[in-house]
Amino acid sequence: MLVLALAASIALRIRLDREPARASPSPVYVASGKTLRRLSLGYQGLVADLYWTRAVQYFGRQKLSGAGDYRYLGRLLRVTAELDPHLLIAYRFGAIFLAEKPPAGAGRPDEALALIRRGIAANPSYWRLWQDLGFIYYWDLKDYAQAAKAFEAGSRQPGADLWMKTLAASVAAQGGELATSQLLWSQVYSQAGNESIRRSAREHLAAIRAAEDIAQLNRLLEEFHEREGRTARSIGDLRRAGMLPGRPADPSGVAYEVGNDGQAALGPGSRIDLRLAR
Amino acid sequence: MNRIAAIAVHTFKESVREKVLYNLVVFALLMIGAGLVLGSVSVGINEVALVNLGLSAVSVFGLLIAVFIGISLVWKEVDRRTLYNVLSKPVARSEFILGKSLGLVLTLVVNTAIMTAGFYLVLWYEKGRLSGADWAPLQAVYFILLQLTLVVGIALLFSAISSPALSAVFTLSLYVIGNLLGDLRALGEQSGTALRGLLRGLSMILPDFGALSDIAPAAHGELMPASQILTHSVYAVLYTIVLLSATILIFERKDLR
Repeated sequence: MLVLALAASIALRIRLDREPARASPSPVYVASGKTLRRLSLGYQGLVADLYWTRAVQYFGRQKLSGAGDYRYLGRLLRVTAELDPHLLIAYRFGAIFLAEKPPAGAGRPDEALALIRRGIAANPSYWRLWQDLGFIYYWDLKDYAQAAKAFEAGSRQPGADLWMKTLAASVAAQGGELATSQLLWSQVYSQAGNESIRRSAREHLAAIRAAEDIAQLNRLLEEFHEREGRTARSIGDLRRAGMLPGRPADPSGVAYEVGNDGQAALGPGSRIDLRLAR
Repeated sequence: MNRIAAIAVHTFKESVREKVLYNLVVFALLMIGAGLVLGSVSVGINEVALVNLGLSAVSVFGLLIAVFIGISLVWKEVDRRTLYNVLSKPVARSEFILGKSLGLVLTLVVNTAIMTAGFYLVLWYEKGRLSGADWAPLQAVYFILLQLTLVVGIALLFSAISSPALSAVFTLSLYVIGNLLGDLRALGEQSGTALRGLLRGLSMILPDFGALSDIAPAAHGELMPASQILTHSVYAVLYTIVLLSATILIFERKDLR
């Protein structure tokens, strides 16, 4: 009887698995952090951890499946922050998840900004949240004046690294320039406590280096045109003219080439995403 | 004093013979161990999740032990008629209640110590070594014990006037309400004068479990100032005295025939 019932239940389970999946329900069971705080009866720290875990898994699932449906992400993170205002990781990583452009992230810098501001209000002396705020202004909103202000405010917090002052000055003076971007991402790379952030910083740095290489190659192409009186058709023309010692390659190892428009470009098969340098 | 101690020791021995106690402690230790899994399926909260889940398990299972042993402490003695043996000796009813409550508090202290040791074992396994900051959760454990002492007082009070099932419902209800006193006060401030006074009065009279909750700050290594620890401790002691005095008053007048 036992074996029969077990076999029947397994067969039924297999049949249920074959049925088309229903639309996934909202991952936010209770949308108000205040209500959830009351319901948690003093265990709000644990409930916040569970909500943060749900936010991470929701983000990961959407990213891996390529669905890119991040509509609940902001709400999950807000509830997490309301439950445990000192869960710093939720602000720092949550802001990255929200601010990244689709399909890598939700493409909601406004929500990321609100989350980080909530984090700063609850943890005003934690300087890294100011750093994250500056990042959102710099990268996602291209508001270099606000970014410089955020870095400067962060540099005044106890324990802030000295480079925050340098960053504030660089962003104020040369916001939007590749050298400043490189400085920002180098800092992120050297302090990343997580492999996915380190990988993201590496990809941004590679894109910045490729953008710099392309700008340099375009200068050489212009020089070639002035000197030879004709447009170079390939990188080989620059080498033959003695303007390049070898065949330059981008950080992913693929050689640069000259496009139909006469401008330097990434070669086919390159894994560099130049949008990350902007 | 000796008589109270003798009843306390006897209550402790009787409690540790309860099989449900071991089941709860084993389950609590499993929950504490599950903190490792929660940390691993999330990002960046390994230690925070371990502390939150570990201390929540210590608190929840301590609460269950306090309620389910506390509610039957007096009732069982009456039901088995063993109470008459005790009271036929030169033991005052007040000494019986004090001994019973002390015995249960002792049981809870031992159980909480076992669960806390389990928690630190898991924390040590996760981190490889323990540093000075890792002892911050001990403060939360102390507050959990204060909460449990109050729960014992409430359970004993109800067990002196009601059946075990109703006592469990009343005790747990009071625990829930005691965690919402802040909201009760806030609600009162938004209400009319009469209701405001009533809710304010209730929030003063009912046990404030919310004020004795310290798990979330402990997970971030935050310590409460010494003055605040002292205030909260004195509050818990005074409230326990109120509960035990009320229980003794009721028990003294109770017709045990």
